[in-house]
Amino acid sequence: MSLIIEKYYYEEKKQWSVSLIGEVDIYTAGQLKETFIKLIEEKKEDIKINAEELDYIDSTGLGVLIGALKRLKQENKDIILFNVKPSIKKLLNITGLDKIFIIEG
Amino acid sequence: MSKKNNDEIKLSIPNKPEYVSVVRLTVTSIANRMGFDIEKIEDIKVAVAEACTNAITHGKNEEDNFLVDFIMEEDKLVVNVSDNGRGCTTLNEIKNPDLDHLNHEKEGGLGIFIIRSLMDNVQIISNHGSGTIISMTKYMGEDH
Repeated sequence: MSLIIEKYYYEEKKQWSVSLIGEVDIYTAGQLKETFIKLIEEKKEDIKINAEELDYIDSTGLGVLIGALKRLKQENKDIILFNVKPSIKKLLNITGLDKIFIIEG
Repeated sequence: MSKKNNDEIKLSIPNKPEYVSVVRLTVTSIANRMGFDIEKIEDIKVAVAEACTNAITHGKNEEDNFLVDFIMEEDKLVVNVSDNGRGCTTLNEIKNPDLDHLNHEKEGGLGIFIIRSLMDNVQIISNHGSGTIISMTKYMGEDH
């Protein structure tokens, strides 16, 4: 099992679009962290994450998202998650992270 | 009337991140076989994976293994995850995540919080020098 990350910058919306496909855990979280660091270095804009094909994320993955949001918040930018699976929604809910990320749909 | 002993499965897993997914698949299969519903299977999978992540993070030595013990009882599944790391005496003092302080980017503690939220009974035994055991129980029935 692994993680595939697809990213695209929408010039007109001034927004990163990131699709996460697979699983984010202690094995793949480093890959996600590197991607976010590069994105934010390139353009510090909102990151909209399509989680439709994200099957699993653990506390290390959530830690990466929190770290990225921390950097974005310096410029008042956000992380938006959409198409989140119920099991992941539950995790965001119990950790209270649904209140610091924007969850759509 | 001899009551059947509890069935037990033991795994010894290298302290390497790439093997957490092996435990996830294994526990999913065990819980499914026992007849847990999908939501509970998901809870167990997430909690056990967090315990393994914790063992790898604190186990230090990649050459070592940590142990995962699945005890299948009639009405519940008990999973014990033991590492031989340094141990930590403050584990039981871990508080709920403090979201007002995003500066606390290090998510240590978030995993333990997730385990406690998803499992019915959680015990953490940890002593300096002798490693940590996370013992967690999920019941089959409702209202636990």
